[in-house]
Amino acid sequence: MVSLSIAKRLPGFALDVCWESGDQVVALFGPNGAGKTLTLQCLAGLLRPDRGRIALGDRVFFDSAAGVDLPPQDRRLGYVFQGYALFPHLTVEENVAFGLKGRPRDERRERARMVLERLGLAGLEARFPRELSGGQQQRVALGRALAVDPDLLLLDEPLSAVDAPLRRQLREELGRIIREWGKATVLVTHDLAEAYQLADRIVVYESGRVLQAAPKSELLWQPTSERVARLIGVRNLLRGAVLKSTPEVIQLRWREQTLEAVNSPSRLFLPPPGAALPFFIRPEYVRLIRKDRPGPDARHHMNLMDGEIVGEADQGTTWTLFFRLSTPGAPSQETYDLEIEVPKLVYEILEMARDRRWQISIHRGSIQVLPSE
Amino acid sequence: MDLFPIWLSLQVSVTATALTLLAGVPVAWLLARRRFPGRDLLEALVVLPLILPPTVLGYYLLLVIGSQGPVGRALAVAGFELAFTWRAAVLAAAVGSIALLIKSAQAGFETVDPRLEQAARTLGRSEWSVFWSVTLPLAWRSVLAGTVLAFCRAVGEFGITLMVAGNIPGRTQTLPLAIYDRVQANAMGEANALALIAVGGVAVLLFGLSRMARLKY
Repeated sequence: MVSLSIAKRLPGFALDVCWESGDQVVALFGPNGAGKTLTLQCLAGLLRPDRGRIALGDRVFFDSAAGVDLPPQDRRLGYVFQGYALFPHLTVEENVAFGLKGRPRDERRERARMVLERLGLAGLEARFPRELSGGQQQRVALGRALAVDPDLLLLDEPLSAVDAPLRRQLREELGRIIREWGKATVLVTHDLAEAYQLADRIVVYESGRVLQAAPKSELLWQPTSERVARLIGVRNLLRGAVLKSTPEVIQLRWREQTLEAVNSPSRLFLPPPGAALPFFIRPEYVRLIRKDRPGPDARHHMNLMDGEIVGEADQGTTWTLFFRLSTPGAPSQETYDLEIEVPKLVYEILEMARDRRWQISIHRGSIQVLPSE
Repeated sequence: MDLFPIWLSLQVSVTATALTLLAGVPVAWLLARRRFPGRDLLEALVVLPLILPPTVLGYYLLLVIGSQGPVGRALAVAGFELAFTWRAAVLAAAVGSIALLIKSAQAGFETVDPRLEQAARTLGRSEWSVFWSVTLPLAWRSVLAGTVLAFCRAVGEFGITLMVAGNIPGRTQTLPLAIYDRVQANAMGEANALALIAVGGVAVLLFGLSRMARLKY
């Protein structure tokens, strides 16, 4: 259980964050310069917060009120730095054994060999870091941190030094190593896919603050604000005017259409009529009404709208269609109203390259309403 | 030919360089790694010996360590004589050369990625251990280069030495002073021999250094 509540003022930047996590892997996600690495440094004792409290389980690392500030040497954390920070003058084995100083020579050697073996680095003991591939360097950095059997593993942008094709492979490898060693981990990343794949819980950072901390699935489906929605790359982030709100549904007016959306799970959100409200529609949840089937049934096809495809982009396995409603007025996103994502097979069967006019439907459960800011 | 100046110069320069290392490396590390009040002042103080005319520096040094100076008087009470002895020549050589060592070592320490030191700290190493196992092994080349520079400067030290140690043949007459003396006395043959020895010594030193610089770490 990591719990952290700290404030730190630096020239031109203020960090003021509070989160806790009982999950195995927590990701600090946010744009560069949001204060994620600073948080990690405070956690590791490399940077001293102005005030606050940091604890891991019942071990208090820092408590400004009680005057506690454990030096990094006593926190027993495994810190994997951005770019790995391997000791260039030491061999792979010496790097891994670096934190074992003070133990008998034989034990050091044995432990280092065991760690190298487990990470698939056997045979590279005598190499220097510059002689290793990116993936091997990552494993040596992990090995160096894991060799001391830390209580918590800290990973700072572990994959930022790697090129894109290798990154996916290393991400999977990293995930496997984290699970295998069963270490509680705090991961810093600006890559949502990385956070989503590796972490159980995601803490969203922006400008030195935490916007939302939630289990990853909840974050993706229920961002608590428009800013979080933007940071996690939600598409079709739109704005409508409230017509009616009940604990069950919220009716919105958007582009001369009346949309019906399910209210938030808490059902406590009752914006007044007339209020401008952000909402989003996931591109993969927009339904296209087939013309070769009987007419749409109002029970299954709610939020019906007409329009045409004004552009498209090949995503490899799917097509992204840019859809513009037939209603008059300016489209809500530059030249189109909605992005729609369809699998290639659907695109081909429905002959969408030729047929550009479609009727669409959006289930009210697929329209997510966000609290206005 | 009297070889005393050569042995004296070696003795003075080696002693001065050892002292310079002992005092200069910690100062260089402080300047490279710590932020503290008075840091700018210290940095300015360090380069002062490079900027001031040696005779001016020697003059002030003499005011301090001379028989009437505060340090000189205190040492005299303890029965220790400093001014116009070979020890004063050591002091002169150290003062004249320490800036070169500090500047070079500081630059070396500054090129060491601080994250490597932080990594060592998170792995449980004390500050002392971090210095010996990470900082110094990664900056030793700059420290060595600074040491060689300082040593050469110590061998060649003239102005400060003349002011605080004098030019007493057989006692405080170092190699540069001896060469000067021979030239004044029109003993060009001896001056030539001494100068060649100095050139030869420096050449050997530089050759050795360039060999060592090829080592990776």
